[in-house]
Amino acid sequence: MTSASVEIRPSNRPKNVLQKVSIPWIVVFTHMFVILLLPLAALLLRAIVLNPAQFWALATTPIALSTYNITFGTAIVAAIVNMLMGTLTAWVLVRYEFPGKRFLDGIVDLPFALPTAVAGVTLATVYNQSGWLGQFFAPFGIQIAFSRVGVAIAMVFVSLPFVVRTVQPVLQEIEPTIEEAAWSLGASRFATFWKVILPPIIPAILTGTAQAFARAVGEFGSVVLVAANIPFQDLIAPVLVFQRLEGADIPGATVIGLVLLLISLILLLIINLLQAWGRRYDA
Amino acid sequence: MTLNLETHAPIGEREIHPQDSREWAKIGLILLVFAFFTVILIVPVIYVFVGAFSNGLPGFLGTLSSRPFLNALRLTLMAVAVAVPLNVIFGLCAALVIARKSFRGRTFLLSVIDLPFSISPVVAGLMLVSLYGRQGLLNPVLQAIDLRIIFSFPGIALATILGGMPFVAREVIPVLEEIGDEEEEAAKTLGASGWQTFWRVTLPSIRWALVYGIILTTARAMGEFGSIAIVSSNLIGRTQTLTLFVDSSYRNYDSQGAFATAVVLAGLAALTLVIKQVLEHLYAQRHRVK
Amino acid sequence: MTSPRNPKSLEAQPGGQRSFLAYLGQGLLERSVSRRSAILFAAGLGLSGAIAACGGGTTTGTAPDGGDQAARPDTIDVTLVSFAVTEAAYSNIIPLFVEYWREETGQTVRFDQSYGGSGSQTRAVIDGLEADIVALAIPADTIQIQEAGLIEPGWEAETPNGDGIVTSSVGVIVTREGNPKNIQDWSDLTRDDVTFVTANPKTSGGARWNYLALWGDVSETGGTEEQAKAFVTDAFANVPVLPKDAREATDVFFTQNQGDALINYENEVLLAAQQGNELPYVIPDNNIFIANPIAVVDSYVDQRGTREVAEAFVAFLFTPEAQREFAKVGFRPVIPEVQQEFADVFPEVPNLFTAEDFGGWGAIREEHFADGGIFDQIQTEIARR
Repeated sequence: MTSASVEIRPSNRPKNVLQKVSIPWIVVFTHMFVILLLPLAALLLRAIVLNPAQFWALATTPIALSTYNITFGTAIVAAIVNMLMGTLTAWVLVRYEFPGKRFLDGIVDLPFALPTAVAGVTLATVYNQSGWLGQFFAPFGIQIAFSRVGVAIAMVFVSLPFVVRTVQPVLQEIEPTIEEAAWSLGASRFATFWKVILPPIIPAILTGTAQAFARAVGEFGSVVLVAANIPFQDLIAPVLVFQRLEGADIPGATVIGLVLLLISLILLLIINLLQAWGRRYDA
Repeated sequence: MTLNLETHAPIGEREIHPQDSREWAKIGLILLVFAFFTVILIVPVIYVFVGAFSNGLPGFLGTLSSRPFLNALRLTLMAVAVAVPLNVIFGLCAALVIARKSFRGRTFLLSVIDLPFSISPVVAGLMLVSLYGRQGLLNPVLQAIDLRIIFSFPGIALATILGGMPFVAREVIPVLEEIGDEEEEAAKTLGASGWQTFWRVTLPSIRWALVYGIILTTARAMGEFGSIAIVSSNLIGRTQTLTLFVDSSYRNYDSQGAFATAVVLAGLAALTLVIKQVLEHLYAQRHRVK
Repeated sequence: MTSPRNPKSLEAQPGGQRSFLAYLGQGLLERSVSRRSAILFAAGLGLSGAIAACGGGTTTGTAPDGGDQAARPDTIDVTLVSFAVTEAAYSNIIPLFVEYWREETGQTVRFDQSYGGSGSQTRAVIDGLEADIVALAIPADTIQIQEAGLIEPGWEAETPNGDGIVTSSVGVIVTREGNPKNIQDWSDLTRDDVTFVTANPKTSGGARWNYLALWGDVSETGGTEEQAKAFVTDAFANVPVLPKDAREATDVFFTQNQGDALINYENEVLLAAQQGNELPYVIPDNNIFIANPIAVVDSYVDQRGTREVAEAFVAFLFTPEAQREFAKVGFRPVIPEVQQEFADVFPEVPNLFTAEDFGGWGAIREEHFADGGIFDQIQTEIARR
């Protein structure tokens, strides 16, 4: 769709440049088309049997509305936790030497490789009121597994690697000498962090957070095992999709799936626009 | 987890600022990260290991030598072998296009690339079924050329590719933006071809981002479950991947088998990291030689 | 019982003789092909082709030539699609049938087996998973496949018993050790001091049986629909967790220690007990006849030329030796001979009602479990309290 606008930036590069850039473009669009857009279109066609009123009715049942609320609310909390702790983890891994560093670096990716069902069972077992960790919270009346807190923890777990792994390579590219210079010029540590270190890694942090958020919104396998799945309490939208699917209600499932997709797309757009807007000040 | 922190950082001496408070801040941050990891990741992973060895080493090895497990391992590795290279090529191209060109719809394209993360795996599976299934859009074509996608390996591969699509692009773009394009422009001015510029200038500076992207794509490809569960016929020994094997073991009250398989998946993910460490080492060596 | 993944039962699989290394080698070979294709694919639409090429070795079922029934090929591939907990039973029954069929016809049958949630399996078959035989947890699922035009109506009458039901079970209430809350009947589940776990009727075909058992405890004993709804609402208000299927419900109760009781099917409880999770349970007197249907998928067997062997397999499942294997893993047998043998394991239930008493599965699905149906109303009502 945008192939016409490929050669936007006028430059003094050699004239065969169009030919050069077009290969990546073809790859990008073929891949996206075959893997993502074509299947997505097929799914849309399945929902198209519904008229807008039916679509709206299915998308806005009281239970459906409560699941959007719970899904996005909890995913935002999980994304913020990941943003803070992920950035910190990347910082610690890149800038400090300490025992266990390799170990820490090595386990960051485990949440992706572990099947989500295993993650779910494990978190539910570790965090229930008599579990290894849950028992420390139970005396204070804090229930973790089978509540929204559990859902949030599962979401943090499955999206843990995103922020760490996006910020890490950027930090590695930034020379420590820049901050050394700032310090030696007398800047306070706070000012150094705020003015020197943070700006270049903000795009990476936002990217990682956006991905973590997106992943948390879509997560099903682990959450369904950690949550009580009681409507209005901690039932999330992907579980509702699954419920409708099991009830052989494919249009109903598709509708919720599409609503999730649309909201995610809008939120991702906002985050990416923010980033693009933020970059203007760099140049 | 006992921590025995060294009090002196090996990263050079800093003369101007007071050492003590910086050291304390450093220790504090490290402890905070460890605490977070302990609660979210380490304890659950220990639980998985304990479960895997609940019948001792023989039980663990028993699972690992069963034929359904080996077939599942093979299928998972095959899916990884197809999905990772395709996603890496896509990711690199997408990153170059998005980070180096400005065009209308750039942000939109970026957001669409992110989308596979937020597609619930169940919906992702449903998408593929809607396209290639018996009632799917392309079914008449597939029937005509006698090609089977869903409930066969291609379906599993497609689901795996879809799940890991954004990683490489998303890892590489921030780095490309951070380093800017001055060096590339300089190389071009000096007469380097596009390919030479990419190979000699761009690639070295994005290498770590690329490596992380590959690691994440691989890890995700191995752990893919929800969508595969929908597009695979889950035939034991034929279309059962490791994650499907985990699920079916669990359902048969063979928790030990399920956890043992999860440990293998974790081990495979760790393997990619070992490869990364080796690469890092080799790279450092080569640079010293130069 | 021994491990359900008895490798012996899988020997009949194609390629089973080859070593794993050879397998992996083949995988790598295919990988290099895909690499090459991957480069080509940059030029255009190579992707599907590349993946399909890799899939060559793994496509399901080599459909034998169905044209000539008289001359049987030496081997024949049959695909069995069943719900999760039956694997233990089928892995023992299949070798018996393979042996039987070889003696009978000289032909070797190779079984491809798929086990998963009943609803997911149903969807897969409708979407093109070429199953010759489907064994599901609930007749509603088989009816769905029938409605999709893959199974001809009247499949119920095809089995020796004439009702299409190969195994049955009943609903049970599992309690904690020593039954501290003294839970004896469905009505105890509505008490304020009791919490219990059940799988979600929305996602678990099987949990719909639990739900019907509760409903029927009122409606089939003289109560009105309103009273039944109030009773079920009171009960579900005491549910702290709604896992997505029976297996997870068992885990939530046993491993995660949630609830004072667990509603489950007798067969799950007996299977869990065999795996070391033994807890006391009661079988309420007013109970639901849980029926697990079996059917040959007409469209696929005709396409693949497997009708004869598939029908023979279904018939074989009603022999005493097959029924015994089902009984061993906790399913109630459906033929009198084996029922008597296992009479002490499966006590008789005084008042059993069936899905037909509630108007059949079509009506139940529509009325109770559709979007906005009675179960949704109950959940909304509970949230409002």
